[in-house]
Amino acid sequence: MRNKLKASICIIIPILLAFGLNTKFGDLPPLLKFLNPFTGFWQNAEQVNFPKTNKIVLKGTQDKVEVAFDDRMIPHIFAQNDHDVYYAQGYITAMHRLWQMDFQTRYAAGRLSEVVGKKAIELDRYQRRMGMVYGAENSLAGMMADPKSRRMIMAYTDGINAYIHSLSKSQYPLEYKLLDFSPEDWTPLKCALLLKQMSAVLAMGSTEFYMTNILKKFGPEITANLFPDYPIKEDPIIPAGTKWNFKPLAIPQPPLLFTEMTTGTVRTKELEEGIGSNNWAVSGAKTASGYPILANDPHLNLTLPSIWYQLQLHSPGLNAYGVSLPGAPGIIIGFNDRIAWGVTNVAADVLDYYQIEFKDNSHKQYKYDHQWKNTSTRLEKIKIRGGGTEIDTVIYTHQGPVVYFQKPEKLKMADNVPIGHALRWIAHERSNELMTFYYLNRGKNYEDYRKALTHYTAPAQNFVFASADNDIAITANGKFPLKWKEQGKFILDGTNPKNDWQGWIPANQNPAVKNPERNFVSSANQSSTDQTYPYYINWEFAPYERGKRINDKLKVMTKATADSMRIMQSDSYSILAQDLLPALLAKIDLAKLNATQKEAFNLSGKWDKFFAADAIGASIFDLWTKRLFYNIWDDEFTIANIPMRYPSRDRTLALILKEPGSKWFDNINTPAKETLNDLVNEAFKYSCDSLERKYGPIGKNWAWANIKQTHVPHLANLPGFGSKTLMTGGARSTINALSESNGPSWRMVVELGKTPIGHGVYPGGQSGNPGSPFYDNMISTWADGKLYDLYLMSSANDDKAKVISHLTISK
Amino acid sequence: MVISFATCGLIGKTAKVAIWQPFFAILILWTAMALFKTIPNQNLLVTRVAHLFGLQLWWWVLLISSLLGGFVAAISGICGYHFRKAVLVKKATA
Repeated sequence: MRNKLKASICIIIPILLAFGLNTKFGDLPPLLKFLNPFTGFWQNAEQVNFPKTNKIVLKGTQDKVEVAFDDRMIPHIFAQNDHDVYYAQGYITAMHRLWQMDFQTRYAAGRLSEVVGKKAIELDRYQRRMGMVYGAENSLAGMMADPKSRRMIMAYTDGINAYIHSLSKSQYPLEYKLLDFSPEDWTPLKCALLLKQMSAVLAMGSTEFYMTNILKKFGPEITANLFPDYPIKEDPIIPAGTKWNFKPLAIPQPPLLFTEMTTGTVRTKELEEGIGSNNWAVSGAKTASGYPILANDPHLNLTLPSIWYQLQLHSPGLNAYGVSLPGAPGIIIGFNDRIAWGVTNVAADVLDYYQIEFKDNSHKQYKYDHQWKNTSTRLEKIKIRGGGTEIDTVIYTHQGPVVYFQKPEKLKMADNVPIGHALRWIAHERSNELMTFYYLNRGKNYEDYRKALTHYTAPAQNFVFASADNDIAITANGKFPLKWKEQGKFILDGTNPKNDWQGWIPANQNPAVKNPERNFVSSANQSSTDQTYPYYINWEFAPYERGKRINDKLKVMTKATADSMRIMQSDSYSILAQDLLPALLAKIDLAKLNATQKEAFNLSGKWDKFFAADAIGASIFDLWTKRLFYNIWDDEFTIANIPMRYPSRDRTLALILKEPGSKWFDNINTPAKETLNDLVNEAFKYSCDSLERKYGPIGKNWAWANIKQTHVPHLANLPGFGSKTLMTGGARSTINALSESNGPSWRMVVELGKTPIGHGVYPGGQSGNPGSPFYDNMISTWADGKLYDLYLMSSANDDKAKVISHLTISK
Repeated sequence: MVISFATCGLIGKTAKVAIWQPFFAILILWTAMALFKTIPNQNLLVTRVAHLFGLQLWWWVLLISSLLGGFVAAISGICGYHFRKAVLVKKATA
């Protein structure tokens, strides 16, 4: 008996040990599995010296494919047909970025709980309830309906799966081993989800909940005064005065003002200027070569692995180079031998909330046009690691999903979602954005560009264009709902059909300009047009400063080269400081400053208004204006249980410069009556004091780069897997819109001509493997404001290219 | 693990041998394999993993990996040895 016991103990101990050390507990990876050099992370340590040639057999290809990897590990794919080129794109992208593709699409689909457990459940519910999967399914139907995009997406999917199936467990990307899950097969839906995620990043912003609360609290007059429908200072994308050569559709009539609104129960977060971008093109009249030059730098959250993946695609009829999104076939921003194109976000109002009047608590019927209409339901099954499956029922009206009946407690991103309201969002529409890129990649001239744009729905982008024929153009492009003025600025009454979206702005009437007199086109997320454009796109766009600076520079530019554009992309001159700083300095009462504050005052006066890495004036100005805006607005616009937002920077600037006696300067929470001067002085002293507290005596430590702490974190925020802190300049309102970890995610300059010359860089590396020398190798070049040459290879054996490795794929 | 359990169960001569032999076998094997992987990588990855676990120096990760591997092997070995003894004794008395 004793021996039996002993024998079983001897078996149980090793089994327990094996189980314990190979299981994930909380955030700790399965240790033994992870540390085992034969299967764990050690296997992901890539050799620094790469094999020069490689041959593989992939049954899914139709012909031979050759891939040349250049010295930055950028694949140049040479295929004999369209199927193979996208098949190879899928295979190679997965080879470098599989985990990222998987993670991003799980995030989009609300499937993170499946791999990280219960802690992601609110986020998953949010994604599902916003209709991300619903929208992706609709998009996918659109993509599958066109034979070209269907072939593209199927070949890409098969290529990814060919790579996934070739992997043994020890070859799984590192993050799978850390988070302890396995790659699953790629599906076309995932491509659609990825594109939806881009829409979520760029076109999910909404302030109508806040605006409605403001309207209710302050009334229409103040609301119109503080939140005007057109900025006071503006330099629109389509040059002011451009004539519209079309006959506009009739604009729908607005209903009587809708003021019966509900208010929520959450506190607002301070709105920050988020994601923006720059692009421009100058015509040959302004360049040294006599051919156009095009530049683009989209600003997004910076991560490792990078959001972009560089490559060249070559097949009969196609020869394009640029960046792709891992998870979507084709090239999103780039050039070919005839044309170049780039994008910035339009920020159209394509997301509206409708207040729904339900018949009863069963939510089976809602009032619409004086009748009761039936809702539908969609069941969202959320699998939870170590916790079964949750079924979340989402009610849909004809507008879209009712996002919440009850506010989630711990999810900041849900703050601007009103309770019991239905969401109408462009990303729920059936669409096929892939075709736009299919045609742009193959485009030869202006007509091809215009044709490509008609296929595009969302997120609406300012597509800039230049061609070797010396044409330049820009189009604010997307599917824009036909709206009455201000429709969707506030929450809409869902019972009134007049509040529905009642058609679309015809694609050929989207704001556009070709070869304007000023010989350049540009955009920086500001207003698309002046006020003569007959349609309503949105009441608020990004502030004008970046656009103004770009236009100021381009106006006076002659004999431009690629280098002029490169220098402009890292320009950090602040138009905001130019507009505001002299007025603020004039209000400071010198007699009341201590020594540090006096020194700060002197430095601010001498500051050249560039947000350079070593600028101390920049640090002071940044904090000073933030505090000043807080001083002006916070007393009125931050009220518990009524989420609101501050008026715009543009409006605040006008208030400071032109309305010094305004009532808004008084702090209503104190008995005294404050003036603008009081607030400016308080904000200045406050900024100096807090800089001193945090960074010591005024000096080197106050340098802007040290305050800003720019870095590129890992996509899942794993410590050690991000970049170090980068001592670099730039700020939100400048062309080089680089903040803590948000900014130029790709910088590209293309010189058009007989043979195009491209230049570009993104802050990351081609490989998503933290164990690869190509994981973050481009960051320092990017941080220095330099660009690499992007060489359009003529064949896989083009000896002008710096090729380090060849891969031959045969059937 | 199964291997060290089985081998020590079959041929383990003494308890001491059944602990130390698998321990050093795995210690050496894992160290060698880890070095084989990390040296051509110029320790890029292991340095990042060290930071992930809050360690300053990369070879701590190597040490922990090998010791943990060795430890598990050793435990399996001794358990295998005692398992055989237990089973054999049972047979002898039967």
